[in-house]
Amino acid sequence: MANVLWLQGGACSGNTMSFLNAEEPTVVELITDFGLNILWHPTTGLQIGDQVQDLLRDIIAGKVQMDILVYEGSLIQGPNNTGSMNFFADRPMMEWIKELSQVAGYVVAIGDCATWGGIPAVPPNPSESTGLQFHKKQKGGFLGADYVSKGGLPVINIPGCPAHPDWITQILVAIAVGRIGDVLIDDFHRPKTFFTDFVQNGCTRVVNFAQKVDGQFGQKGKGCLFYEVGCRGPLTRASCNNILWNRQSSKTRANHPCLGCTEPGFPHHDLKKGSVFKTMKYMGVFPKEVPEGTNKLAYYLEAGFQKAMPTNHPVQEFSK
Amino acid sequence: MSVKELNISPVGRVEGDLDVKVYIDNGKVTRAHTQAAMFRGFEKIMAGKDPQSGLIVTPRICGICGGSHLYCASSALDTAWSTHLTPNALLLRAIGQATETLQSIPRWYYAIFATDLANKKYADKPLYKEVVKRWSAYVGETFQKGLTASALPVQIYALFGGQWPHSSYMVPGGVMCAPTLKDITRSHAILAQFKNDWLEPIWLGCSIERYMEIESWDDMLAWVEENESQKNSDLGLLIRAGLEFGLDKFGQGVGKFLATGTYLHKDLYNNPTIEGRNNALIQSSGFFDGENYHEFDHLKVSEHVKHSWYDNQSDGLHPWDEPLPTPAQSQTLHDTNFDSQYSWAKSPRYDGHAAEAGPLARCVMNANPANKDHQIQDPLFGDIIKKMGPSVFTRVLARVHEAPRIYKFIEQWLSEIDLDGEFYTKPVEKDGKGFGATEAARGALAHWIEVKDGVIKNYQVMAPTTWNVGPQDGNDVPGPIEEALLGTTIEDPLDPVEVGIVARSFDSCLVCTVHAHDANSGVELSQFKL
Repeated sequence: MANVLWLQGGACSGNTMSFLNAEEPTVVELITDFGLNILWHPTTGLQIGDQVQDLLRDIIAGKVQMDILVYEGSLIQGPNNTGSMNFFADRPMMEWIKELSQVAGYVVAIGDCATWGGIPAVPPNPSESTGLQFHKKQKGGFLGADYVSKGGLPVINIPGCPAHPDWITQILVAIAVGRIGDVLIDDFHRPKTFFTDFVQNGCTRVVNFAQKVDGQFGQKGKGCLFYEVGCRGPLTRASCNNILWNRQSSKTRANHPCLGCTEPGFPHHDLKKGSVFKTMKYMGVFPKEVPEGTNKLAYYLEAGFQKAMPTNHPVQEFSK
Repeated sequence: MSVKELNISPVGRVEGDLDVKVYIDNGKVTRAHTQAAMFRGFEKIMAGKDPQSGLIVTPRICGICGGSHLYCASSALDTAWSTHLTPNALLLRAIGQATETLQSIPRWYYAIFATDLANKKYADKPLYKEVVKRWSAYVGETFQKGLTASALPVQIYALFGGQWPHSSYMVPGGVMCAPTLKDITRSHAILAQFKNDWLEPIWLGCSIERYMEIESWDDMLAWVEENESQKNSDLGLLIRAGLEFGLDKFGQGVGKFLATGTYLHKDLYNNPTIEGRNNALIQSSGFFDGENYHEFDHLKVSEHVKHSWYDNQSDGLHPWDEPLPTPAQSQTLHDTNFDSQYSWAKSPRYDGHAAEAGPLARCVMNANPANKDHQIQDPLFGDIIKKMGPSVFTRVLARVHEAPRIYKFIEQWLSEIDLDGEFYTKPVEKDGKGFGATEAARGALAHWIEVKDGVIKNYQVMAPTTWNVGPQDGNDVPGPIEEALLGTTIEDPLDPVEVGIVARSFDSCLVCTVHAHDANSGVELSQFKL
């Protein structure tokens, strides 16, 4: 049994929509089989308005126990740090979060907006958005670098735009069944169990990454999307290609370059000219970013060698 | 009798929180104001950025209609860059749009709307018990089945786009994917499961084909009574309970409808232009003024900001001419002066008129006698509007009416994909202006872009919710939801459930609460859940 409060700030509801796609457990099973008691949720909550205000005040006053605070959306602080660009129940949302975070057992940030500010925080950041405990790659965010919840953990970050439903449900279940002690978090506060492997692990195009065979939009076969259309699979930690999305596919399996949405820089390069669905290069040849953990020069030499004298046949066959 | 003020905060969340204030005199709403309570400034974020930024940024405006934003963003660049679109590209975009909308029908109906009918206000109605048994949140008999089935259509979206929500697979010049046979066969199988799990046995109680024979309101009523299976289906119950509960008696609105249309035909939009768009649509666009149909012309769309929290902008500008937003200081619902600025939403107008966007607007366009052979021709809602007029009931009926047709479309379009054909034609990037539009599940959605010096100079998004929840315009004429609330009878001022039901019928809100205030004393009278 765990009491969950779910709030949305500068949000698109995408993480909620993703959550509603969950299976094993479904949202309903989460409640009936795993004893999650959703105190309130903007889409499915039954008590709202003043009843919600009363509930929030009771939680803050310690009359109602809140084991998990789930937050979706950016923390809107504008204009001029007043938060009045995001009123919720007749008060700036940021004021609610400040007080609720002090009494929460655990705080879970869902999606890029809540974790690091996401798209709303892209310069010029018109709403003065930030994440709960990070602003982009910088630790701190709204609650500050030193924040820990009553359970003794900092904000648990489940990034992604949106987060995969499994990442959300599994962390909620881990807390509910008392296994939170087994959840290890990395430097960006992400549970390592989901965010250790790279998106490239499990990518069906990986053989052509090694062979340096380019992929393009609309192209049949399995060309690698890293070289021309800006895929960030080798730079992005997430289990997308292992657990798949909507039970069927993943971006790279559908010939869609990985956007790197589980890493704190998303959208990377702040959408500057030439960065969207294009691999940014030096002198039109050398990719500006190389796979995580590789030395640039070594990578260029190796890649150049493979391009000029492939050690194996490129895998380009395909069936319609 | 004193006028009572009701502050409703929040009414819901689409692109942010929606609050409503109504004034009640002698049991009727005499004045209403809608307030969108959240600002993120997406258009400002895109200025000066890569011209394709909209493909990544705009789906994140709304996680519910993200695929629709993508459809618009790619189309806007298609017109700006004069791309070429293959039949496969157009089919795969239409399938994406259709699967998102199909998903939204049961999800919206069960999770958002139907629980309203389980409100105790209706406890004395004969069908109330059955409604509660089926549609109560979480525990209702068909609630979970409908909600679970809603995840199926977007599995098809994921096969072509990688994931739902938030894919960017539609790009200027076509689509990223190049599906193979197994993607097509898998899609057919998922679609059939959606039909077998929910659409036919639970929702319709008959075959899709039987339902699609309905052409008039009389046909519809006869269909309900035709047999027990149809009568007791969820749709049969909605029609019977909707009429019994009197949902057809309130929430009329402005009586003018606007649809930007969608589903560009695979053979009619291979060289995209703004001028050629209307003719290429399968679901037709148009403006219906209550009497006559008018051809849609995006140049007749303008936005007003007199009552919106934006400075440095004049009223009535076409989106291409609008400046990027300059946010003004906002207030809480209680502190707002409604004679001045009071919402983050702007007020879109068509040819100067407030107009309702949404499934009802689409269904009205489907009845336009001028629709061409390749366009939907469905007289049903022309007849319903004539006989019953717009109301909460007709709006909800339109929202769910589309499921069988969309199902058939997806099936057809899957079968038309040519696996030997091309999916993408690389465009030449250039400066220029573009316009892209679609019908999101909840109504007309349009994007306007201007690319200059290789970056975005201006980007304007007009969402269906903007059309519907927008505040008063420059002439203080109310927006569609504000208008729809006027005259609504509030049976119990201590529990004015009707206000939220009207707002919800526009699909503008997920959660509603009303705080009732006595206008004279300011004392809070009640609060309630809708």
